[in-house]
Amino acid sequence: MFSPWLTARVQFVLAAVFVVAGVGKIMDPPGFAHEIHNYRLVPGVAINVLAIVLPWIEVVAGLALFVGLARRSAARIFGVLLLVFIGALSINLVRGRPVDCGCFGGPRVPKTDAERLGDMRVGIARDIGLLLLVGQVLAATRREERDRR
Amino acid sequence: MRRDSSWRDTFVILVVSGTAAVVLNALAGPERKLLWIGSYAEVAVSRAAPPPAAAGASVTPASPEESGRVFAPHPDKPWVEISGDDVVALHKGGNVLFLDARRTSLYRLGHIPGARPFSVWEVGIDDKVKGLFAEGRDQSAPVVVYCTGGDCEDSHMVGQKLYFVGFDNVLVYKDGFPDWEKRGLPVDRGDAP
Repeated sequence: MFSPWLTARVQFVLAAVFVVAGVGKIMDPPGFAHEIHNYRLVPGVAINVLAIVLPWIEVVAGLALFVGLARRSAARIFGVLLLVFIGALSINLVRGRPVDCGCFGGPRVPKTDAERLGDMRVGIARDIGLLLLVGQVLAATRREERDRR
Repeated sequence: MRRDSSWRDTFVILVVSGTAAVVLNALAGPERKLLWIGSYAEVAVSRAAPPPAAAGASVTPASPEESGRVFAPHPDKPWVEISGDDVVALHKGGNVLFLDARRTSLYRLGHIPGARPFSVWEVGIDDKVKGLFAEGRDQSAPVVVYCTGGDCEDSHMVGQKLYFVGFDNVLVYKDGFPDWEKRGLPVDRGDAP
């Protein structure tokens, strides 16, 4: 469960997912601002700050995890981000408000409301899966630290 | 006892991310740049169809007058949603300003002839609205704004901005550019209106 072999692969998967997601958003900040706005959870004045900074946090933390620097910090940041993403999707799912996830940037694809709601459920399941991977990295790094002491 | 350095590392990651974001946003071109403080109005896009064109209007009426529709100013509303038939009539009339609220990259791929790019998500939108005001146009004349139809609210947001500077006859093309294309109407490409 906490073997270095497994932890290294989990780190790689997490780093790859967040770097790809972050780069997609960095390529088009106005598009990401649009997606954040669609969630109807963030005040208008804060949307652009989030759209500019959040993707870079994903990329920098992803790269840190990839090269094995600050692994615990990167995993902690991913954990917080995933909880926020899960919360945002869940709130809109409960509202019955279909939104595009905006998780990986890129152009909006025309979809029906039912398709969007389905994608939101898939997004929540995916984020919960990623959260489990984050838990594995946090537990493994804690154990490593304890062993070093 | 060793101190947990992961909080310091977290701080470093956030600082590096913030610095990269500031630098890259400063260097970004106009279609990718964002102002740090956004100004986005909350708009409620109706799911109902817009009022149909007046009785007797054909699918492609020659002018607003022929369609029997009157587009009077509506000083207490930021916009009014109109149907594709009305939009076609207004476009054929020739004197109506059209604004494309979609992203400039989409505008470049195809837009309604004569429409100007007015993406609400790009950094120059407030300057464009001020520029329109500064042109000294008749603010009670119809202005048609469109985006991609459906639940797209970009045209409503542009309409709201225009309303705030005094344009009180903003007409939102409810079904947007996809409807225009579906009707087989002419499309211009490139940066020029």
